Amino acid sequence: MEFLSLLDVTFFLLTALGALVGIIFGAIPGMTATMAVAVCLPLTYALGLNHGLALLLGLYVGGISGGMVPAVLLNIPGTPSSITTTFDGYPMARKGEGEKALKVCVIASVVGGLISAAVLFFFAPILADFSIKFSYIEKFLIILLALSVIASLSSNMLVGIFSGVIGIWLSLIGDYSISDGGNGKTRLMFDFMEPYLFEGFSLLPVLIGIFGISTVLLEAEKGVKSDLNDERVKIGKGGGFSFGIFHGRFTNMIRSSFIGTFVGMLPGVGGSAASVLAYTQEKNLARDSSEMGKGAPQGLIASESANNALTGGALIPLLSLGIPGDSTTAVLIGAFTLQGIQVGPLFIPENVDTWYIMMTALIFANFVMFFLMFFAIKHIAKVVMVPKHILYPIIVMMCVVGAYAINYGIMFDVWTLLIFGVLGYLVQKVGLEVAPLIIGFILGSQAEVYFVKSLESYGTFSIFFTKSPIAVVLWLLILASVVFSILMSLKNRAKQRQADIS
Amino acid sequence: MESGLSDLLSVSVDFQTSHLYFPTIITWIMAGLFVAILVTKVIPFLAAVKRGERTLPILGEPMDAFRFFGTLALIAAYFYLMAVVGDMFPYTGYGFLFVSIPFVLLMSLLYAHEWTKKALIVICINAIVAPSLVWYILAKLFKITLP
Amino acid sequence: MTINKILLTFGSAAMALSMTTASSVVLAQDGPLRGNVRVVIGSTSTGGDTYQNSNIVVEKLAEHLDLNMKVDAVGASAAFRALDRDSRGNTLMIFHDQSYLGHLYGVQGYEDIFEKYTIGPTVAINPGNAYLVPKDSQYQNLDEIIEAVGNGETVRVAIQPGGVSEIGFSALKNAIAIEHPGKEDNLVAVNTGSQSDKNQQLFDGQADVINGTVQANEQYTRLPEDDQKAMRFIWLTARESTIEQAPEEGLGQTSREQLLEYTEPNVTVTMGDDENFTFDKEFFFLYNKDMDQAIVEQIDTALAEIYEEGEIQEVQKNSFFIPNFLPSDEAREHLEDKRSRYEEIIQNIQ
Repeated sequence: MEFLSLLDVTFFLLTALGALVGIIFGAIPGMTATMAVAVCLPLTYALGLNHGLALLLGLYVGGISGGMVPAVLLNIPGTPSSITTTFDGYPMARKGEGEKALKVCVIASVVGGLISAAVLFFFAPILADFSIKFSYIEKFLIILLALSVIASLSSNMLVGIFSGVIGIWLSLIGDYSISDGGNGKTRLMFDFMEPYLFEGFSLLPVLIGIFGISTVLLEAEKGVKSDLNDERVKIGKGGGFSFGIFHGRFTNMIRSSFIGTFVGMLPGVGGSAASVLAYTQEKNLARDSSEMGKGAPQGLIASESANNALTGGALIPLLSLGIPGDSTTAVLIGAFTLQGIQVGPLFIPENVDTWYIMMTALIFANFVMFFLMFFAIKHIAKVVMVPKHILYPIIVMMCVVGAYAINYGIMFDVWTLLIFGVLGYLVQKVGLEVAPLIIGFILGSQAEVYFVKSLESYGTFSIFFTKSPIAVVLWLLILASVVFSILMSLKNRAKQRQADIS
Repeated sequence: MESGLSDLLSVSVDFQTSHLYFPTIITWIMAGLFVAILVTKVIPFLAAVKRGERTLPILGEPMDAFRFFGTLALIAAYFYLMAVVGDMFPYTGYGFLFVSIPFVLLMSLLYAHEWTKKALIVICINAIVAPSLVWYILAKLFKITLP
Repeated sequence: MTINKILLTFGSAAMALSMTTASSVVLAQDGPLRGNVRVVIGSTSTGGDTYQNSNIVVEKLAEHLDLNMKVDAVGASAAFRALDRDSRGNTLMIFHDQSYLGHLYGVQGYEDIFEKYTIGPTVAINPGNAYLVPKDSQYQNLDEIIEAVGNGETVRVAIQPGGVSEIGFSALKNAIAIEHPGKEDNLVAVNTGSQSDKNQQLFDGQADVINGTVQANEQYTRLPEDDQKAMRFIWLTARESTIEQAPEEGLGQTSREQLLEYTEPNVTVTMGDDENFTFDKEFFFLYNKDMDQAIVEQIDTALAEIYEEGEIQEVQKNSFFIPNFLPSDEAREHLEDKRSRYEEIIQNIQ
């Protein structure tokens, strides 16, 4: 094996360093894995291809994992793909189980990361051929399936769906982007907004606005009482962590990992859909999912194993089609072009050494991430013990940095924080639901492109049903998901009625 | 029969107006759901408010108005001044640095319930160190563009 | 402004305290261009050709002028706005032909750059703009496609609308209108997005021809014919003289000689009057209209010296860019000329 001679101490150190820096980036609300890779990209000039890739892959794995930290402890997803982690993570943290929640997340993450790496290693070319069977139509159905989580996620189905539709509506503001094949015209806004809103609201500022800033506003309204402190000091005491939590959860973990890998490998569908989809499936398929959304470890397992499985998944189309699977790998492609290496269907056969190097870095990065996180969690979890009057100003400041930096310096993105901070506050006040709204926002613009482009190409609605066997399977899944959420809601209503009577 | 169905399902999207196609559908769905919620939730709720059984959100709730509106004002001023000051020193990140320090300081003071000497010292140190550290690491080390 | 001064004093003090590395920032440089300079580009991708090429140029320029310069991939709309707001020269822009093609195609958000901005120097060409068909396509070359469309066959071309990706399609349509008047509507655009979307349309059988690039599609052209992903070049829009400057080994396993088979005069798309259509994707600077003319000259001179040294050309060629430095005046003239030729094509086919 010739590539072994290319591995040296520096290689492993850089991977570890990458994982560490990535975790920090991911853990800071507003900073993402994509950003970590983007800011370190210029360094790879100097490092050379192998060392550069070691660093970047470390950052990628670390950055995706780090997102769990603020999601669990502060209810702010550190990266868009950790949004579903907040659903169960934060309730656990409030019960004083922050450390336990994080440990569950870390284990789920490493399993997801390793499974996807294995899938990447053994099946990349075959899966790439499979992924191109997914045209606009199948991609639309996948988005629809992910959207169907809204129904089962909401406590009141009507209100939940309404919130989700508002989210979709908000995501459509701005131009129908030419880079998606649209006609570049703006809609759902007035002319005077055009200078700011031409490209619509960007995802990350919306996300941290609605989670971060509105949390601050809700607290401010209550007077930022420090009394919660006593309760939160219990960190790590309430219900300790044991591997027993994973008992009976292996199917979930494996299923979610495969969902994550699979969604990652579809170009354009994007990272956030992976964890949402895994979360939906766990909710639908688990024997008992009634606790999900209230602090159930199974939700964390689904979310985190799926979002880490993205890493391997998103590398599949990158390395075997030359097409990035998510926003981070889109930046990663720069590392190859900088070194004058083409990525495309012949990349793996023509660069066998680089391929092995990448696999080594990916797997090693996952282990480093695991050890760094698992043993650091005790200390990380103490973040919540920082008094709020110190913590909140810093959170706001970091949100600003993240919002401003995500699109390389656009001031309107910072104002988006405030707009959605206030909106998020109002939404919660009038009884609408935030989670469906944000899922609608994340998936809305993709739903539009895939839907409209399908109709443009085929000119009939029936194509959604008749395109391919894959489409039929997806419809069955959507149907199952909808039926399930209706049953769930009926069951809940009956339970509530019984409770009312007694 | 067959052709009747396929006629019904066939659709032609004009590229020039395709940017309105999906938003129109969504707007109608949203409007429909809104009416449904209005009828099933909002009207019964308002009736309950009238009878005095429930209170209006925000308006009818107790709130710490000083801290709430103080937060809003501080954040708005923070965002606005950051751009203004940043414009004086183009692309150095000073706008972020110089405005974040007073912002963190004021917000900490706003939220702190007890202004003991020890607390004030911690607040001041934090207000200077945190923004400087962030600025140094991100703007200098990683060369991220900051306001 | 006293506040300004206070802040400046405070700033300098803080700087001096913080780190020695920071010290170079506020020190005035010799030329009219001073402080930190941000170069915004019309693309949001940091993996794409605009970013890569801008990085090469800006890095050399920063070194040469001893300034802090940074490329930010903010995208076209945000880049134009950033440029509008800053006439001090701290914000510069690099973009390519999309900047005026967008306007010609009437895309919302694109204005006449020759009127609204100062055109800076051109720096490089990406010669890779290409059109491809599936490897087992019935069409052997572009002439057969023109013939087929002339005979009433419908041929679908996947492009990204409103710019660089569409211009070759428009030229082809124009050529058909000239050679087979009235038949040009049989050439149909399939409007789609990124390269992966275009490829996907080909795999789905929703397009017969796609727009692509040598860089992104070269490996696909080397797949065996029985692979469903296999493609074949039929046309490179670059001028023959442009490709001739590419490294002899070409790109990947496709040599320069092989690439030249797909450019004019081997593949021709007429514009009428015995003239053939060509399109080179050129990268150039754009400045705020009110920016000091001295800065324009400073950058022109600096780039002239950099290109004189000859090192940048090597770096560009290594990344499959063709060096193409023209100082501002010449660049403006050249680009305006280019624009008027394409304007004609687009008007003809409307």
